[in-house]
Amino acid sequence: MAVARTIPSAVQGTSPRDGLRLSEGWFALCLVLPTLLGIFVIVVFPLLYSLWLSFTDVNLLRTTGPALELFGVRVPLFRFVGLQNYAKIFDDPLYWSSLGRTLYFVGAFVVEATLVGMGMALVLHERFAGRPLVRSLLLIPWSLSRVVVGLLWIGILDFEFGALNGILARLGLIDGSIAFFKHGFSALNVLVAVYMWNQAPFATLLFLAAMQSISLDLYSAAEVDGAGYWQRFRYVTLPAMRPIVFLVLVLATVNGFLMLDLIYVLTMGGPAHDTTTISWLGFQTTFAFFKFGPGTAILYTLTALCLVLTVIYHRLILARFEPEG
Amino acid sequence: MTTISRRQLLRNAGLLGTSAVLADRFRGVAHADKPISFSGWVFKPDTVKDYVNFYNQKFTGQVQYESIPWAQYHPTMETRALAGEVVDVMYCNHNNRERWFENGLIRSLDDLPGVDELKKKMTPANLDSLKNKDGTKLLGLPYFTSLFVLIYNEPMLQQAGIKGPAKSWDELVEHCTKLKRDKLSDTPFLPNWNNSPSGTMPQFMTDCFSEGAQVFDAKNRVIVGQEPGAAKAMERWQKVYKAELVNPEVLTKTSSTDTHRLFWTGRYAYHTNHSYYLKTIAGEPENSKLAPKKAKMAMYPGTGHTYMWTDSYTVNAKTKVLDDAWKFTRFLGGNLNGDWYVQRQWCLISGLDNPYPEMYDHPEIIQSYDRWIDLKLLREQYKKGKVIAAYKGPWYGEYDTKAVAVVHNIIRARRRFPRA
Repeated sequence: MAVARTIPSAVQGTSPRDGLRLSEGWFALCLVLPTLLGIFVIVVFPLLYSLWLSFTDVNLLRTTGPALELFGVRVPLFRFVGLQNYAKIFDDPLYWSSLGRTLYFVGAFVVEATLVGMGMALVLHERFAGRPLVRSLLLIPWSLSRVVVGLLWIGILDFEFGALNGILARLGLIDGSIAFFKHGFSALNVLVAVYMWNQAPFATLLFLAAMQSISLDLYSAAEVDGAGYWQRFRYVTLPAMRPIVFLVLVLATVNGFLMLDLIYVLTMGGPAHDTTTISWLGFQTTFAFFKFGPGTAILYTLTALCLVLTVIYHRLILARFEPEG
Repeated sequence: MTTISRRQLLRNAGLLGTSAVLADRFRGVAHADKPISFSGWVFKPDTVKDYVNFYNQKFTGQVQYESIPWAQYHPTMETRALAGEVVDVMYCNHNNRERWFENGLIRSLDDLPGVDELKKKMTPANLDSLKNKDGTKLLGLPYFTSLFVLIYNEPMLQQAGIKGPAKSWDELVEHCTKLKRDKLSDTPFLPNWNNSPSGTMPQFMTDCFSEGAQVFDAKNRVIVGQEPGAAKAMERWQKVYKAELVNPEVLTKTSSTDTHRLFWTGRYAYHTNHSYYLKTIAGEPENSKLAPKKAKMAMYPGTGHTYMWTDSYTVNAKTKVLDDAWKFTRFLGGNLNGDWYVQRQWCLISGLDNPYPEMYDHPEIIQSYDRWIDLKLLREQYKKGKVIAAYKGPWYGEYDTKAVAVVHNIIRARRRFPRA
């Protein structure tokens, strides 16, 4: 057989059947190799390179130092400075205060997005007139670009021309206008709420899909046992949804840590640094101060935090979970 | 009578046609410029496209224009340089010019033909601003120059019985207090305290200058903490914020553009911002309640000095088409066309000023400015414009951004003004 003859002897089996199986393995490898190569070029290499940058002194305009040659492309390696970038950022009080705000932001956002998402999913799981329409409308906030979301909420919350202040004033509920962005803490909470409004529909979608996949027999059995609505939710729905709850928590946490665009549109980290989170600090350090080394170091601490929280969620939610069947 | 055979006619026609085509091609080879890439941040890109087309037609150029969003503009240009791309002509804001020059991205223009004539025509302060740190090399030609001005809402002042705009800061605070007390405005004062690089810090420098204070010394060290005038300005800012004379959300506005749009509502009495914003406030009735010319400019209070800067067109140090790139740069930032074409367009369309005083004698400019500003007063204000050199230091960008938080905390009385 021509194919078998071309296969190196080391990978050939003893019988013609073995030879065929191994050659299939090689054939499969050949099929996935372009994809693997693509993943390496698009994901793995930039990841490793950016990690390397966090240990170097980067100046994009001075690339005369050591470099890698990859397929004829010169990739500058810059000057290695060890842990200096990390030492610098850990020494900066602004980093720690930003970390505190980030943890508050992520915590509040994850709780709000999960609870609101779950609540909306429970409502949409019930039968009522117009349910398909409501399910479609629900996705609109999630489908909007976050820059548009930011501009939309400026239109609602603005001190000068915001719709909410206008409505409250016309109803005689306020005298003058409420300045939602005046104090740092209220501005941070506005960011949480706006981001929740944007992201909760996605959580709803996931929860709803999970609810629909739960066998109705389980609910019927629970009803026979005399379980009420909340007991069915507590003992049937929630346990069956653990993997999805895990997924929603991980996604919400990662998205919360990385959120940047709403800060850009709504507050630019202000007033003062009161809405500066780690992602905003990393963005500013990298692209406003052109300090790519410390900037990537800041952002890699976020990556580390995301990984740690994912492990914790996994331990807490999925450790004792046994999927059906 | 000479007869021409059909064959001769066809041959002659063919020769004529061929020679016409060849002549056209050779003319093209002789006169067309080489392709030039040109990048700028997004500000009225259609206007830019129009004058690039004008240049390509009139000067047989081959300029390819591309606009990049402001926030990513400078990092994008640096990333492209890292990748080996050469953009021949680039916008560059004042904060990044020196760094680009020191790192070899852009070249000095002093050795290029016609530059000395342009230097002579520029106001000295702007020329200094466009030079490198030691003042020996010109790094760019002007895209525009601007400074901070005081704008007032004339109908509101009249309604309150106030005869004219404030001439001093004390008077301005007094006017605002009266307007709030009389319920003519909830927040009569709108300083440009926004969170962007064009907001709080340039406004801070402006108010320091107007109180006679310096922010940096001759060696570009920060000395503002030693200046009584700066402390006075900060006390005033705290006072107007505490008295709720200022829109408290101005601290989280993300641009000077957003900030000036608040003044369109007609609910404020005084506003300090870049001079060209008065064009939309007083010159665009479709947007602003204070147009036409209900909002006016007044001379800046105190010493009258305000912060002035110059953004620029620069030429890539690695350009392979230097002659053509320079020709196009002169068209943009100089007077290649003989009528200040591009500089004039920016004046007419957006009220963006330039450092060539002779242009302001042109009847078209005078007529256009007359629709939204007192040009004579603006020119007087420009005489009091102050440039700094500190932005040429590598530390300035980070200082400029981080100082915003310090100033915001001083305004909100969460921090004292640092006295040396």
